[in-house]
Amino acid sequence: MNALADILKSIRPEFDFTTSNDFLADGMLDSFDMIALVAALDKTYGISIEGVEVVPDHFRNLSTIAALLKKYGVAAA
Amino acid sequence: MQPALSIREVGEAVSRARTGAAEYCTNFFPSPQKLQGWISHGELFCDERAGVAFFLRKDRGFWHLYFCAADPATLQRALTTLPILGTDPIVLDLVGKEAELARLIALFEAAGWHIYNRLFRMARTVTAAAAAAPGTPDSRVVVADRAEVPAILDLLLRSFDCRAEQIPMLYEVEAAAAAGQIWVARYAGGLAGLLFFETQGFSSLLRYWLVAPELRTQRLGSALMRRYLAEQPAVRRFLLWVAASNPEAIVKYEHFDFAREGLVDYVFANDRIRP
Repeated sequence: MNALADILKSIRPEFDFTTSNDFLADGMLDSFDMIALVAALDKTYGISIEGVEVVPDHFRNLSTIAALLKKYGVAAA
Repeated sequence: MQPALSIREVGEAVSRARTGAAEYCTNFFPSPQKLQGWISHGELFCDERAGVAFFLRKDRGFWHLYFCAADPATLQRALTTLPILGTDPIVLDLVGKEAELARLIALFEAAGWHIYNRLFRMARTVTAAAAAAPGTPDSRVVVADRAEVPAILDLLLRSFDCRAEQIPMLYEVEAAAAAGQIWVARYAGGLAGLLFFETQGFSSLLRYWLVAPELRTQRLGSALMRRYLAEQPAVRRFLLWVAASNPEAIVKYEHFDFAREGLVDYVFANDRIRP
């Protein structure tokens, strides 16, 4: 999860993503950040996240993002 | 070009454009709420061609163009086949860090588009300890009443360029007023100014802040901004977009501790809209 938290921190350095259970409701990520995050995850893990997967439920917290990555065979450390 | 009928359908069109993408590029970042609003009001249309998902959103006599493409070369090829570009006024926004946008800017310029305006993103970050104290509210500044919505929209349309500054539709202003996200300044019994915002958790986007030109010596703008900042004690990050062509506004935002971030929005227009 630390690697994921680091990626998120690179997008929004002012927030501590380990303390929130809902990044969207807490206003820590907006729709523009979500696209930036998808691009960063694609690049970091060499995957291509499907457009239909780019929905809020997959980006609510570290666990939901890790679950999404798992679908692509990535175990987020 | 087909009307977009559901978020799922839009997601599937985006997926097809992303499949096998080597250098995926897009300017399509709507929140699910905005997307649903556009779909529900019949404003969004989809046109998939040559490997690109184009989305067109109807505005007041012109269109906003969005694209999702596997790479810039695919986008460039597909753009030449989009018939509406030769017939209708269209704008598009390229949002990102200046250096990362260079290739897309060159692509659209080569395709005959021109830069219509540029907006900078500014941010104001606060710590819990530094959050604005409530202070004494200025009685001229109040939450907008729903009955004022037509006057608010009229003031927005008179004060901003709807091609560059994404002026909300009537239903969006109504929703914002109902949610208490518009403060108004009243003077001599009339609407003198407003501050329109969207707060979500720790972040707040200041969408519009204005005072009628003839009343700008009455300190209503400051009263609106101070009230807004004081009424958002949980917010840690305030954001806004400001037109580069409005240096006076930039100075005012800096006065309230907003500073430029690296993000830029290049607003392009096709040849149906004059520079």
